[in-house]
Amino acid sequence: MVSKVLVANRGEIACRILRACNEAGLASVAIYAANDADSMFLELADQAVLLEGETIGETYLDQQQILAIAKATGADAIHPGFGFLSERADFARAVGEAGLQWVGPSPEAIEQMGDKMTARITMRAAGVPVIPGEEIEQEEEAEALAAIESASHRVGYPLLLKASSGGGGKGMRAVHSPEDLIESAKGARREAIAAFGDGRVYIERLLTGSKHVEIQVLADRHGRTVHLGERECSVQRRHQKVFEEAPCATMTPDLREAMGQAAVAAAEAVNYEGAGTVEFLLASTGEFFFLEMNTRIQVEHPVTELVTGVDLVREQLRIAAGEPMSCGPLMMRGHAIEVRLYAEDPENNFLPAIGPLAVFRPPEGPGVRLDTGVREGDSVTPNYDPMLAKLIVWAPSRAEALQRMRRALDEFVVLGTTTNIRFLRELCDEPEVVTGQTDTTTIDRLWPDGWHPSVPRSIEDAALMSAAVGESAGLHRTVSVVAGSSSGPVSPFATLHRRFP
Amino acid sequence: MHHQFRSPEGPIEVTVAKQGESWYLGSLEATPMPDGRLRILNDDGTVMFAHLVKVGDVWWVHVDGHTFKLERVEPGASDTDDGGGLTAPMPGKVLQVLVDVGQTVSSGTTLMVLEAMKMEHRIVAASDGTVTAVHFGAGDQVEQGVALLALEES
Repeated sequence: MVSKVLVANRGEIACRILRACNEAGLASVAIYAANDADSMFLELADQAVLLEGETIGETYLDQQQILAIAKATGADAIHPGFGFLSERADFARAVGEAGLQWVGPSPEAIEQMGDKMTARITMRAAGVPVIPGEEIEQEEEAEALAAIESASHRVGYPLLLKASSGGGGKGMRAVHSPEDLIESAKGARREAIAAFGDGRVYIERLLTGSKHVEIQVLADRHGRTVHLGERECSVQRRHQKVFEEAPCATMTPDLREAMGQAAVAAAEAVNYEGAGTVEFLLASTGEFFFLEMNTRIQVEHPVTELVTGVDLVREQLRIAAGEPMSCGPLMMRGHAIEVRLYAEDPENNFLPAIGPLAVFRPPEGPGVRLDTGVREGDSVTPNYDPMLAKLIVWAPSRAEALQRMRRALDEFVVLGTTTNIRFLRELCDEPEVVTGQTDTTTIDRLWPDGWHPSVPRSIEDAALMSAAVGESAGLHRTVSVVAGSSSGPVSPFATLHRRFP
Repeated sequence: MHHQFRSPEGPIEVTVAKQGESWYLGSLEATPMPDGRLRILNDDGTVMFAHLVKVGDVWWVHVDGHTFKLERVEPGASDTDDGGGLTAPMPGKVLQVLVDVGQTVSSGTTLMVLEAMKMEHRIVAASDGTVTAVHFGAGDQVEQGVALLALEES
């Protein structure tokens, strides 16, 4: 039984989960750090409790404090969202030991999928294809280098060296020819030892021109594990997903079935429970390989919800309560696209931006969904992730979904903080995106020297005229939200070229 | 009325004329709407709607899917760039201050080190000169665009 859910997260995903609790008739508790005291997600909870502490470690990552709040408020379940504590097996275990229900898989499943080597070995044993490669067990440098050299002949070039306990690109090297192998291997080991105290690396074939395709799975305690089709998330910038869609433009029913069965096998191999995502690389040959499993709800889950009609967060709550999942056989309908709106400056190497959301007017109309944790009048601060919102559209076909996304992005007005809206809008016009031939190198190839908008002269004139009329007519006085909206400099430019105090 | 704005491409001067409730610039006609937006009519009969708001000295304008930042230049302001590039390129934390007020530095000297999003940024003197002010110390949080130091060219 679950009757009251503590949401151990903030922002957009906290809003998503709190709304699901409300719809399911469950009581809810939000927790928040002091700098989130005015944030939107607090309004969606039945009650909100302040986390003592300054840093993220002292607040959203403080397991003992969160468990104490759960006890004090009578919550009987904890939903971790994504990020923060969502993939921390020790927290999942502590939640269970405190007599509370963890909304997610078992700590053992989180552990098995969290370690890259273990996950690779577990998946191979379960018959799930992994990227061709070899683990190098030798720890002593000369022996390891000899083993890497020998393995390189079997794996073939180009190849990728990866640290066994790696992450975030550390201890990773792409090697394109045999001459570079030994130097790269030494470098990868050096980095891995410095970062993780473990110099072991493994070799994988480097699959260029691949698509990032992931399968959503759901598993309940009644013996049912299903997949909900794929999402394609190839369009990435520095391993950060930007543009996600379902279905994948080049998917076939046979391939979907094969990947879906592999994902179900992966989940069953670790006795998975709840919602999870199995990520694959899909090579241009149609071969697919296991990358990793995310043992939580994902940022891009809405595209799956829109094409399958399944409410994934609601199913998570249902499964955590011990009920069977409610969804029937997989039915996919139409096409959904999600883009991530960031407070960042795409013209300046995508540096994070801050400022007030003096105007924040999301698009409306048919087939448009907005998942956000901010509203007009809020300020974007450097305290947390700069993702402002996820804009998701659904339409009967991929072409119509792209048209709808263009329309929605054109309608989206954010003033006071620099965003990537225009970048996303122009991305929708790129031939690779239009034809669905994107791969994980798309953004780097399209804009090797950085992105700049192309602005029609007439629009530029109209903007300049607007500023001049605004200044002449004193129009800014009618926008009361600007005054007193935030402390500190309100604009990145406010003090940049100021002449007079 | 005449105004000057600073855009990424340099200063732009604009003169808009008022007649009745509307404003005119070339072939464009703009009419303020009750909600603070502007309705802009082209001479070909097409219409655009502009959202606008002034934050600090900057006009933020949204027209037809494009967003612009136009900093108003006060009449009589000098045209030289007094920032000297010594502003925070992004929000972050000051890691190190490497100079003191009064110190003479040569072009290329690192003056301050910032950390933001786990990346280090060096604030470097663009010319020879004397440090006339240091606005922040190690450990201070800084917002994007704020002046970090002042340098008088020698």
